[in-house]
Amino acid sequence: MNSIQTEQAAREKAAFWDGFRISAQTMPGLVAWGAVTGMVLVQSGLSLWQAIVMTLMVYAGSAQLAVLPLIVASAPMWLIFITALLVNFRFIIFSAVVGPHFSHLHWTRRLWYGYFNVDLVMAFFPQRFPQHTIAKPDGKLGYFTGLAMPNWCAWQLGSLIGILLASQIPRDWGIGFAGTLVLLGLTIPLIVNRATLAGVIVASAVAVAAAGLPYRLGLVAAILAGIAASVTIDRMTGSATDQEQGTP
Amino acid sequence: MSVIDYLLLMVLMALTTAITRGFFFLLADSRLPPWLQHALGYVPAVALAAIIAPDLLMSGGHLAINPSNLKLLAGIAATIFFLLTRHLISTLAFGMAVFTLLRLFAPTL
Repeated sequence: MNSIQTEQAAREKAAFWDGFRISAQTMPGLVAWGAVTGMVLVQSGLSLWQAIVMTLMVYAGSAQLAVLPLIVASAPMWLIFITALLVNFRFIIFSAVVGPHFSHLHWTRRLWYGYFNVDLVMAFFPQRFPQHTIAKPDGKLGYFTGLAMPNWCAWQLGSLIGILLASQIPRDWGIGFAGTLVLLGLTIPLIVNRATLAGVIVASAVAVAAAGLPYRLGLVAAILAGIAASVTIDRMTGSATDQEQGTP
Repeated sequence: MSVIDYLLLMVLMALTTAITRGFFFLLADSRLPPWLQHALGYVPAVALAAIIAPDLLMSGGHLAINPSNLKLLAGIAATIFFLLTRHLISTLAFGMAVFTLLRLFAPTL
């Protein structure tokens, strides 16, 4: 190994631990969230092995919960597939935030990293690597892996606990609220200017108003409406100042 | 559903995860126009807000901005705590403690 490669490896390793430290803070909330999801899987009628296989393979909580009634009712497979696809639609928007940073990799590796681009990874990644760093790949793989690994571990650990202890944990303890609190603590520091605040308010309002939409499409509508609101406020107040402060 | 059918279904579902999350990873050289790149900068804040808003602001499927919504009360308390401490894990512990105490001891309004 020559010195440039050694330097590069050291940089990726440092980036990995930077990501790991940030992501590790969210683990308690994710364990709690995973546990609730795991409990519901079993309580809705999946057997132990079915629930475990689903958790380990699918790694998408909302989609897993959405298809439960369909699986239990023996709905046709294509319908279950389409349902999962629709529920996962918001991830397409998330992939646009992080995906372009990895365009230099082989497509199989891009698919592999994409699979792990969950909500929190997408939320943390651009804080270190905003859009204008797309052309510079240094440290990104390490940082992404550092963010993604604790997330996967905490979610799966929580899910397995929930699946195995489904009958022991009363649902009315409200432990799933821990996940919401973690996201709340992550959202607040992201609100750095008026444009972001407007987006957050509009997205929250639309998410509530459209909560009844099937396939969690209300979430997609809320995200799109929130972006539109932020961009509009941005245009009105002049985006130059935002760029100086660093866009969120 | 037979074991084989179930496993096949799980593969299909894992595929939906990979296809959606990896969508713009897979589009090789997806050079997004600058205005879109700028707009995507707002996605993290907006998406996280959209995920938590229904849990905080609704109860039993209805808008519930009132003192009997314990999650909202605990959420407000956690927000104040976070603004003062800027510490994520203690905010989580504090918010859960407030929520649990309210749930156990608050008079039903």
